[in-house]
Amino acid sequence: MSSNKDSIKKTLIVALSLCIVCSVVVSTAAVLLKPAQEINKTLDRKRNILAAAGMLEEGVSVEEQFEKVETRIVDLRSGKFTDEVDPERYDQRKASKDPARSTKLSVEQDLAKIKRRADLAEVYLVQNDQGGLDKLILPVHGYGLWSTLYGFLALESDLNTVAGLGFAEHGETPGLGGEVDNPSWKAKWPGKKVYREGDVEIGLIKGTVDPSSPKASWQVDGLSGATLTSKGVSNLVQYWLGKEGFQPFIENLKSGEA
Amino acid sequence: MGLRKILDNMEHHFQEGGRYQSWYPLYEALDTMLYSPGSVTRSSAHVRDGIDLKRIMISVWLCAFPAMFYGMYNLGFQANDVLAATGGEVGGWRGSLIATFGGYDASSLWDCFWFGALYFVPIYFVTFVVGGFWEVLFAMKRGHEVNEGFFVTSILFALICPPDLPLWQVALGISFGVVIGKEVFGGTGKNFLNPALTGRAFLYFAYPAQISGDAVWVAVDGYTSATPLSVVAAEGMTAVQSQWTWMEAFLGAMPGSIGETSTLAILIGGAALLLMRIASWRIVAGVFLGMVALSTLFNMVGSDTNLAFAMPWYWHLVTGGFAFGMMFMATDPVSAAMTNTGKWAYGILIGLMAVLIRVMNPAFPEGMMLAILFANIFAPLMDHFVVQANIKRRLARVQ
Amino acid sequence: MSAMKETLVNPIFRNNPIALQILGICSALAVTTSMQVTVVMCIALTLVTAFSNFFISLIRNFIPSSIRIIVQMIIIASLVIVVDQVLKAYAYGISKQLSVFVGLIITNCIVMGRAEAYAMKNPPLPSFVDGVGNGLGYSVVLLAVAFFRELLGAGKLFGYEILPVVTEGGFYNPNGLMLLAPSAFFLIGLFIWALRSWDKSQVEEPDFKIANHVNVEEAAS
Repeated sequence: MSSNKDSIKKTLIVALSLCIVCSVVVSTAAVLLKPAQEINKTLDRKRNILAAAGMLEEGVSVEEQFEKVETRIVDLRSGKFTDEVDPERYDQRKASKDPARSTKLSVEQDLAKIKRRADLAEVYLVQNDQGGLDKLILPVHGYGLWSTLYGFLALESDLNTVAGLGFAEHGETPGLGGEVDNPSWKAKWPGKKVYREGDVEIGLIKGTVDPSSPKASWQVDGLSGATLTSKGVSNLVQYWLGKEGFQPFIENLKSGEA
Repeated sequence: MGLRKILDNMEHHFQEGGRYQSWYPLYEALDTMLYSPGSVTRSSAHVRDGIDLKRIMISVWLCAFPAMFYGMYNLGFQANDVLAATGGEVGGWRGSLIATFGGYDASSLWDCFWFGALYFVPIYFVTFVVGGFWEVLFAMKRGHEVNEGFFVTSILFALICPPDLPLWQVALGISFGVVIGKEVFGGTGKNFLNPALTGRAFLYFAYPAQISGDAVWVAVDGYTSATPLSVVAAEGMTAVQSQWTWMEAFLGAMPGSIGETSTLAILIGGAALLLMRIASWRIVAGVFLGMVALSTLFNMVGSDTNLAFAMPWYWHLVTGGFAFGMMFMATDPVSAAMTNTGKWAYGILIGLMAVLIRVMNPAFPEGMMLAILFANIFAPLMDHFVVQANIKRRLARVQ
Repeated sequence: MSAMKETLVNPIFRNNPIALQILGICSALAVTTSMQVTVVMCIALTLVTAFSNFFISLIRNFIPSSIRIIVQMIIIASLVIVVDQVLKAYAYGISKQLSVFVGLIITNCIVMGRAEAYAMKNPPLPSFVDGVGNGLGYSVVLLAVAFFRELLGAGKLFGYEILPVVTEGGFYNPNGLMLLAPSAFFLIGLFIWALRSWDKSQVEEPDFKIANHVNVEEAAS
């Protein structure tokens, strides 16, 4: 048997039949499991959005909580909604690397140190029980000390008050910049104001906010010991809420022209 | 000779078969510390010299003293300066000792020194006891003598700690440095990494909140003060020069790890090491040249986004742990390259890497520690190539 | 049956694939930051090793020697893809954390090593048992490493808080190094140290010995 198993004919037969068997097995598995995987994928994204914006409730299914959330695409150049792409299929992170679908930022514009900004951005509109706008969730990202922080910022319906900020992904130093994940620090954000006479004023300061200061409602405590991460977070929030980011859209939304 | 007699009378207990056989390393350490060892070289060829490993190590230890004493003073000065402005006081046992023997006057030499000693001495004590414990344990287990290299490791480790590093972290750091950095490879002479730096690197990655950032360099709770290197990375050279003059940085009146701030004090100790030929001048020169070359190159290239590009070489020299690393850490004879050409390459690599890390990676304002550990790893390879090149050249001559 | 038992138990401590043969280190560094992920990885690897051994042994008499490595690779790769698909469908969170490392089971030296060294020469059942045994040997080391890394690095086990950490009001200051890959090197090193102190036969011969000094008389003679 061993004498003829090395013949060319045998070799080809074994190789061919093995390939057929294996490809059938693999493709069956892939096809059968595809629907379950798709569900998981969207569920994961929705959970991230809710969790980062501090709206995730334990015990209630993510699907149910997300029912009130509508995903729309905004053209950042005009500040208006667009139906150019399907929100379900749009990948903003990929788009921001594609020269055809993004804009290069000059050094002065590039506060968040992201180099290119995608022209289209996802936004999430949370409806209240009457069908009006309850919260607006915006994706934000920017460079901290040594990693890009990806997160979501939620605004209240007045579009000037922060409802929450959270980062889904970052690689900052644990214990210093990594404290952006600390719930007690995140709890300092809700209630802060964003704009002051039309300009972005919100930002992190070094040390603790003095409640008696007239600017206190626009200021958030910096992360202790992590100057550069604090600066990065401050910059990315200011960038995305500013003129290069979502400010035109927010103003349009306020006046009902979006 | 009463003492000699006591020691001799005790000796048989420690010899093989004696009651305290496994404690021999301790006995030997004490004996040879007090008297010259009686052992004589019997092999055919050897160099006659009054200096041995023990004397070398003790010399290095003494050479670290200027940096240590200035470090204690500066630690107190920085803290008292802040306390005078905020009107705060130190609590706990340190507070009561300061109240009894000193005060909070930043202009008083004694007050500052006493304040600093209350922070430095506990760190050094813990380093010594914990590190010494491992050293003795391994010596007893392996049946070799306790080595004085540990004197050097302990003081160097204590000097590169930030002022208010928690003591349990000090203990953990030196344990890692001595056990993983040295003993698992066979003890002094066989370690390829500098144990003091290994310990610090461990702490740096394990507990970054207590050994990097802005809050740890002045021994006052809750007070944040950036070191010059992190100021450069964040705000540029002009911001540094508005806070400290170059002379202040050279003398050491700035926040930082305990022993690394004063370039002057380090150079005094370093000069002694060089004169005694304990530290290799080739390594020191290599480190210095590598640093000057790369920082000058960065100055010429310039950068809009990276502010640290503009830092000139004479500022690199006086900030962070550069001078301390160059004089005391890079020159560690065990972990450095052994051949003369290798020493040059090793030194230059450290200089280049230190500047590269400082400038290119703002998250590591202190590149010296990592640069030296990096070069430690390459030292045997460099020696290998130098030796091979030598063999090749001489073979060619024979044929 | 005792030979079978030996095949199963031997790789766990006596002939551990990671600690003695130093195979499969890559995933041991990458996936051991939390127990939950590690357990899934261990199960995945054990299944792949066991079944690839089984199938390869089943057709070992038909595999032409000229393409045997490719044949082994195809079988292993198919199994890995199936495992990966199943994880994505039923344990999405964990499969995301494992990312490429499930796929990289294909290149895990343990799987290939057992297929080539054992399954090609032995009948299916012992091969299957050998695969399980080696998977368990891998799992023992990984679980030990993950136990220390998660406990010391985050104060948790399986995501449940064991040591309350300082930032959340507890007493434990988590060791950040444990969350970085190099810590797995140290832990595996310490594990090997402990194992070889227990079983001296695993200690390797030193590569070289330093010769004693030659004394005058010897040198002269």
